[in-house]
Amino acid sequence: MNYEITHITTYDYSHPVSVSHHVLRLRPRELTRQVCVRNEVRIDPHAAVMKSHTDYFGNPVTFVTVEGAHKNLVVTSRSRVEVRSTAPPEPADTPAWETVRDLCLDDQPNDAAEACEFIYNSPYIKIQPAFAEYAAPSFVPDRPVLEAALDLTQRIYRDFKFDRKATTIATPLEAVLKNRRGVCQDFAQLEIACLRSIGIPARYVSGYLETQPPPGKPRLVGADASHAWVSFFCPEAGWIDLDPTNNVMPSTRHITIAWGRDYSDVSPIRGVILGSGEHSLKVSVDVLPLDSKEALQLVS
Amino acid sequence: MSDPSETGIIAKPTTMFGSYRFSAEAHDEMASAPGEPRPHWQKFASSLERLGRDELTLRWDNARRIIREHGVTYNIYGDPQGMDRPWELDMVPLLIPPAEWSHIEAGLTQRAHLFNLILADLYGPQRLLREGHLPPALIFANPNFLRPCHGIEVPKNVYLHLHAADIARSPDGQRWVLSDRTQAPSGAGYALENRIVLSRILPDEFRDCQVERLASFFRTQRDTLHGLALHHRDHPNVVLLTPGPHNETYFEHAYLARYLGFTLVEGGDLTVRDRRVFIKTLDGLQAVDVILRRVDDGFCDPLELRGDSFLGVPGLVEAVRAGNVTIANALGAGLIESPAFLAFLPTLCRHLLDEELKLPSVATWWCGQAKELEYVIKHLDEIVVKPAFASLSRQPFFGAKMNTPEKEKLIAAMRARPYEFVGQEQVALSTAPVWLNNRLEPRPVVLRTYVSASNDSFVVMPGGLTRVSTAAEDPVVSMQSGGGSKDTWVLSDGPISLVSLLTPSGQPIRSGRSAAEIPSRVADNLFWLGRYAERLEGTVRLLRCVVARMVDESGADGSPELTALAQVMVSLAMLPKRFSERVPLKDLEAEILLLIYKQDRVGSARDMLTRVRGIASIVRDRFSADTWSILNKLHIDARSRPRRIPLADALTLLNTLVLDLGAFSGMEMENMTRGHGWRFLDFGRRLERATHLVKLLRASLSADVKTSSVLEPILEIADSVMTYRRRYFAGVQLPTALDLLLMDEGNPRALAFQLAALKEHATYLPREAHAAVQTNEQKVIAAITSHLHSVDLIALSQLREAGTTEPLDSFLANFVSEFGVLSNQLTHHYFSHTVASVS
Repeated sequence: MNYEITHITTYDYSHPVSVSHHVLRLRPRELTRQVCVRNEVRIDPHAAVMKSHTDYFGNPVTFVTVEGAHKNLVVTSRSRVEVRSTAPPEPADTPAWETVRDLCLDDQPNDAAEACEFIYNSPYIKIQPAFAEYAAPSFVPDRPVLEAALDLTQRIYRDFKFDRKATTIATPLEAVLKNRRGVCQDFAQLEIACLRSIGIPARYVSGYLETQPPPGKPRLVGADASHAWVSFFCPEAGWIDLDPTNNVMPSTRHITIAWGRDYSDVSPIRGVILGSGEHSLKVSVDVLPLDSKEALQLVS
Repeated sequence: MSDPSETGIIAKPTTMFGSYRFSAEAHDEMASAPGEPRPHWQKFASSLERLGRDELTLRWDNARRIIREHGVTYNIYGDPQGMDRPWELDMVPLLIPPAEWSHIEAGLTQRAHLFNLILADLYGPQRLLREGHLPPALIFANPNFLRPCHGIEVPKNVYLHLHAADIARSPDGQRWVLSDRTQAPSGAGYALENRIVLSRILPDEFRDCQVERLASFFRTQRDTLHGLALHHRDHPNVVLLTPGPHNETYFEHAYLARYLGFTLVEGGDLTVRDRRVFIKTLDGLQAVDVILRRVDDGFCDPLELRGDSFLGVPGLVEAVRAGNVTIANALGAGLIESPAFLAFLPTLCRHLLDEELKLPSVATWWCGQAKELEYVIKHLDEIVVKPAFASLSRQPFFGAKMNTPEKEKLIAAMRARPYEFVGQEQVALSTAPVWLNNRLEPRPVVLRTYVSASNDSFVVMPGGLTRVSTAAEDPVVSMQSGGGSKDTWVLSDGPISLVSLLTPSGQPIRSGRSAAEIPSRVADNLFWLGRYAERLEGTVRLLRCVVARMVDESGADGSPELTALAQVMVSLAMLPKRFSERVPLKDLEAEILLLIYKQDRVGSARDMLTRVRGIASIVRDRFSADTWSILNKLHIDARSRPRRIPLADALTLLNTLVLDLGAFSGMEMENMTRGHGWRFLDFGRRLERATHLVKLLRASLSADVKTSSVLEPILEIADSVMTYRRRYFAGVQLPTALDLLLMDEGNPRALAFQLAALKEHATYLPREAHAAVQTNEQKVIAAITSHLHSVDLIALSQLREAGTTEPLDSFLANFVSEFGVLSNQLTHHYFSHTVASVS
């Protein structure tokens, strides 16, 4: 699949800002199943500094400084991305989930060594017995890890209600678990917390999702939002993506931007402004498929 | 062990060292047996015996006075004594003989080298992890592993520019490293100050014992930091980044900045533009080349590190990444402070250096390993359990002191996340004699040592900060929990090089161009210091004038002058309304005492002293040691409380304060360089003096007050009585008094004098090259001056004496509002601050 993606972020400040620094993670990263053919980021007002590097997790990052009093800031990222489908392993053929857990407990270096980075606490995700308890019915003894993980994904999809008003970025995961409501970011972080609490390496993926309008309605530009899902480590197969918000295994309709331990490692734009007062934020994402259409409807 | 009576003069049980008793269960640093000093202590011990107890007591008082006057303080969080607790220094240094020291030195150099290699690997290729020399959890679960700093190259591959290690000694005499400080090690400045005090009170002993000097270590540190500059290599700009005056070791930050010649800055003083770091000065932005940080690395950049930090500089990590600034210690160096590393040092040392670890660490079990976890749980009663990863908030657990439910809770936590815990052996600390209650008593000690990077190697400070536990039995030595400290004397076999002699009062070894630059925040504080010091003086002079009259009138019901002064104070809002009527003298007395002593009464002398002190401590690196001594004396004097005859005591206190304040402004006039800093300080002082004068006149010349009763006191408050008498040879008249106080440019208390000074300051304050011919400040000052000269004082005085107060009042009121405008303009022009917020 080929996509043309336009991601526009607009900040309005109540008072003029003299200097602002931003870290952008807006360029889709290169994967075996994904090629970023082109990416272009435009800053308005003009940025005094725009400098790129690759972060600890291998994500492309751009550091931006805007100088001179400004009352608003518009960041426009346009990408052309090609995504190929890959065949996931047969769930029943994957190793028992306990072997994955034990690999990470091993003192000796092994295949899971790098994945082990993703079993510990991170700024937004803290291991708790409650998450292990929620995961337990899916992770029965000796169950193949992908089968168990798909079951957990499906349970989150069924048990939790998609509700934009229920949470903010500051809502703790315990509250999400208790209230059973949230958005894609909450569900992804919740599933990661469940997996880590039983010792399975899991990371947070930020990206885009192609969504289709209801049949017969025109496709709305900008209706799409940035999306988030989960990736967990499976020996031999490597990292396997799961989308608890839509109960699917991401394939050609999910475009990966970046991954990290949780949202704090991969937020698309993080900024510090020098100035006083409040700011408001507007985001619009448009994922335009350049090939044939599919009928499924997904939410982000 | 020999009989104490056989070992010569020192052994007599009546002598200080002879009667010293220590526990046989610990190693004593000084004595090998009761009354028997070890060989390297003998010269010092006999010298101290010769001085005798009385002389020692005198010198001890002297030491405490020096510490108070130097204002050596240590802030303890939540301390009821409040901020600025005086530093605790013991009289008796810890002596270390040359042979033992070379062993410690070799061990510390190796350790710093090893730590640096580990950091370089973990923030680079991570071979230690991939090859199984370090378990992944030690790094990946560690909150001090700063991922944004991974892969950033640091100059010369040096991550640790200053490393500190706490060394203890077990009963068998063996030395062990208890813990390391790699984040932003503190205490080196206190070690230096301890040395300065002790070498002053025990000069002969210091000379005779051939003690290694400390100055060369600091010179190495300074040269190393200068050498880290990537640009401006001839004149690098090095700054010391402090979290601010509320930090526990702020004294040391200011002290070291002055000593090393670095500019002391807070995060808000720095800004990143074009991926470079700049300091915001009055002259605009000045590039910064090297940052010596006393802010923990996680707090250094809210953009890429902790977003909740207000102590850092947004964009700093990117500036480091771009290679435009060097930070010491490197961002991320705090990682290796984690006690968990101690368990792996012997194998890492063999692997990385192909050597045995020369200085062993205290036995440590990292619970992230299954066997170690079980061992620690089994031996919970003998072992201290600590967080494996360095953190401020969590305390050690002493299994022996916990009840069963507490233990069960701890074990459950350890089983849930074993990698977050270590067990450590409890070392029975060695003891050393401290001077307490006129005799020597043993106390547990821990030695903090310092290592500085130097070119391709590391240099150890020949000495250190010996910390003393408060109680003989206390297992934890910590300045935070109120312990004391000692100077550490490393003895030399040979003569001591005189080149490295310390400059006695802590003047800079060499001050770079950076010392001359004034951050806007500092200028702001100096301006307000000038204002508050002057406001305090005005208040004290007014109170003294009142109290002097009350003392004279004791028993009587008050003179007309006192009545007039009470009315003046009511209209200045210093006294409640009811005092404008005649009230019993007792009531007035009680109220006046509150105005002097009450801490939480806004506008009281005490309240203003606290403000002066608070602002002065923020900019203390700008003052010489002598000036700071005066400020400290002021603070100490003001603490006195009224005793038997409260009013007489109050008068004495007010007199002392007037003298102290005079000494401070004298120092300011005579000893401060006429840079921008001084101009802002004096601008504040002149502006306040002018404002205070017109307010006082306005209050005194209002309708209710009898002019004849108030003129003499006003002249007294304005310190102009003598001048008046000399000039006018007559009783005080309104027109002549006003002339002296308002128009006389030769009278340093007159309004005209202040305006002339303000005019000069405004001319020399920094301004943009393209600015208008006159700044707004200059315009306002010119307008005020012409307002002053436009008036006919005789006419206004005659109207006032005839009972028409309005023209004189509005003439004076105009000054008050114009001075407010001037103050705001100055603030807006030079001090406007911005706050950072994360989104």
